[in-house]
Amino acid sequence: MNTLRASGADVNPDRMPDRQAPVVIKGQGVGKTFGNGAVVALEGASFEIRQGSFVSLVGPSGCGKSTLLRLIAGLIDRTSGNLTVHDKPVAGPHTDVGMMFQRATLLDWRTSMENVLLPTEVVRTPTKADKDRAAELLRLVGLKDFLFAFPSQLSGGMQQRVALARLLQTGADILLLDEPFGALDEFTRERLNIELMRIVAEVRATTLFVTHNIAEAIFLADQVFVMTPRPGRIVEIVDVPFERPRPLSIQTSPEFNALVAKVRDILGDDH
Amino acid sequence: MRKPSSYQIEIALIRFVPHLLLFLALLALWEIAVLTGFITSIIIPRPSAIIGAIVELYVTKGTIYSHFFITLTEAVVGFAIGAIVAVTLAVWSSLSEGFKRYVSPYAIVLNVTPGIALTPIIIAWFGYGMGSKIALAAVICFFPIFVNTLTGLLHRDEDREELFRSVGATKYQIFLKLRVPAALPLLFAGFKIGLTTALIGAVVAEFAQATSGVGVLMSRFSFQLNMAASLATLLSMTVIGLLLFYAMEILDDRIVFWRRDTRMATVSRARARAWLAKSGE
Amino acid sequence: MSLQQGTVQGMPSVVAGMSLRRRRILIHATIFIALLVLWETGSRMGWLDPLFYPRPSAILTSFWVLFFGSGHIWYHLYVTLGLVLMGWIGGSLLGVGLGALVGFNPLVRRFLKPYVIVLEATPRIAVAPLLIAALGFGATSKIAIIVLVCFFAPFINTLSGVVNVDPSRMELFRSMRATKMQVLRKLVLPDAIPVIMAGERLAMTAALSGALVAEFIQRDKGIGSLILTYTRNLNMASAFACIFTLTIIGFLIFKGMELADHRIAYWKNEAGMKRIGDRRRRAMSEQGRG
Repeated sequence: MNTLRASGADVNPDRMPDRQAPVVIKGQGVGKTFGNGAVVALEGASFEIRQGSFVSLVGPSGCGKSTLLRLIAGLIDRTSGNLTVHDKPVAGPHTDVGMMFQRATLLDWRTSMENVLLPTEVVRTPTKADKDRAAELLRLVGLKDFLFAFPSQLSGGMQQRVALARLLQTGADILLLDEPFGALDEFTRERLNIELMRIVAEVRATTLFVTHNIAEAIFLADQVFVMTPRPGRIVEIVDVPFERPRPLSIQTSPEFNALVAKVRDILGDDH
Repeated sequence: MRKPSSYQIEIALIRFVPHLLLFLALLALWEIAVLTGFITSIIIPRPSAIIGAIVELYVTKGTIYSHFFITLTEAVVGFAIGAIVAVTLAVWSSLSEGFKRYVSPYAIVLNVTPGIALTPIIIAWFGYGMGSKIALAAVICFFPIFVNTLTGLLHRDEDREELFRSVGATKYQIFLKLRVPAALPLLFAGFKIGLTTALIGAVVAEFAQATSGVGVLMSRFSFQLNMAASLATLLSMTVIGLLLFYAMEILDDRIVFWRRDTRMATVSRARARAWLAKSGE
Repeated sequence: MSLQQGTVQGMPSVVAGMSLRRRRILIHATIFIALLVLWETGSRMGWLDPLFYPRPSAILTSFWVLFFGSGHIWYHLYVTLGLVLMGWIGGSLLGVGLGALVGFNPLVRRFLKPYVIVLEATPRIAVAPLLIAALGFGATSKIAIIVLVCFFAPFINTLSGVVNVDPSRMELFRSMRATKMQVLRKLVLPDAIPVIMAGERLAMTAALSGALVAEFIQRDKGIGSLILTYTRNLNMASAFACIFTLTIIGFLIFKGMELADHRIAYWKNEAGMKRIGDRRRRAMSEQGRG
């Protein structure tokens, strides 16, 4: 479904995400209820996410976007439907995915390096190669001078950069980001969004990004899952036909604004 | 460690001088008040008399030292026993819901009972020597350590636990790598309270029945109405208290370094150096 | 929870909860009784010397005698609790007053700091013999001891409560041109009340300990001297009966202070907020009628 109405100069079909890429995450009628069915957090979510694509989940609080992320990560169990990652049904936490949260959730007693090495430590004693990779990832997120700083010595944005490096250290090819920059100020957030786009392209990861900011959702993604609450469901999947990475200036283009208006329309009065 | 620069020393001196002046002024005022008969010297002795008593106790006769070390030993050993039992029970309680449920009523009973009340009974059980002092110190320092450790270990940081689960950590790894380090600041707060409490236990047990220790010295001087020597002895208890407190403070500083900016910077530099040295190989 | 859920799903869970609770109470009781039986048998079999480790049955008997047989304990209880109450009130007033005074005056705070550190490290109860020597035997020296041991916690807590007032709220008050007195009464004290109450709880515990130590030294009357006398006479059962009395008192004090805390710092708990909120609403509607 192409939602672009105006003729877009930025659209280049050759550089669009690969339509033929294999599906890595597949959901069929995925649902989750809490409290013996008293609260329906997510209902009938069906979707396919292809390798290397960037998907934003957007909607007001209670629309089930974080629930969907946790279901994919296997942190919670679905109550209905089928959900597969790499063609395997999800059952419990698995290492195909890595997660990042709104809070940086760094350990205060560890340096940036040691925090990034945590996912490795859980599996084995880190080797020299693991450590070199951690240092390399910290350089990738722009923290080469803060390898041995402790979290409380870093700003909020820098803490999230460490968390991003830690996420990449898992080696997972699917990144689940739950409002990762939601607690940061607008300027830091914009800068980090640009860097995130560059980094996921570099590591060729499939990315799911939860946000309640419509413009941010569209700016980052190839596909936007628009979600509404009570009960939480995916009401529409909107394709974003701009090539990635994108310049910030794209946000002022009429095509971009048309997309924002469309998503806002679907979400209704809540936004 | 960097050496403090002469500038820093100067600043410290400037800060210290007003305190010293005030202290000396207070002492002078006190001395004059007693000399002029404004304060009865039997109840409150002159500072010079107290200083005289300190010199006698610490320098000319040196009576204080054996008592000093006996009380210090009682407090430290009592604390160690109380702390080991408290931390063991707290760790066990934090791991097993059942254990916690059936142990906590007894812990609460122990908490609401003033442990000091056990003094005569503990002396009857453990005799007049150091044993009873150590036992009382251990009993009354148990609870603050237990409750602090348990509170620290039971604190659930949902976000971080979810992170650990998302990278596939086991329960054991979550306990060791997340819950234990996160509980350390509270554990040390408990240790500090526990040390002070252990000292109180040792001293009170000495008041009740003993042959040596600063508590004995204190009650002996008091009953002789030798107030200057009493106060000098009290000061030695303060010294023990400060020694214990600062010893724990240093440990706290070393182990829970991420709570102190300067220590954190030092550790950060040390780890960076270690990394550089290794990559240089 | 909606009515429907209460009837459809609530019922079975309540029954399940009850049975679980009953089962737990049963296990608690079983463990407790097993311990008592073990102790009693141990004593009767001669593993524990009953002279030093009294049997539960003997303690229970002594308890009964002390309270209802001879009624010997009532007088001593009255003496000790009287001392505790007076000392605690004195210590609280002194602690909160000094704490507020020092907290409000940065200069005093700066110069007092070393003395506070020294005082904190000193086992304050150790001044007991000194105070008795200075003030003589009797209630005065006992109360002085209690005041001294229990003033510190309210002092430190009031001080930190006053010092740690949220700076942005302080700015808000300054922007409204509030006077110092208004800042104290409307911001600083209410803000510090939960911390002060925590200090008062500690002070109460300290006061009870202080009274016991004073009585151990003076040995004339009160629960402390009673415990000492019984132990000296190797009447351990009665000594333990006194200790368990103190447990009950300690528990009552704990609950009492908790209740007072909930009442006074009402905005820190749901029930308190509802109570005061309802009261204010009633007062307003009555005013509307009047």
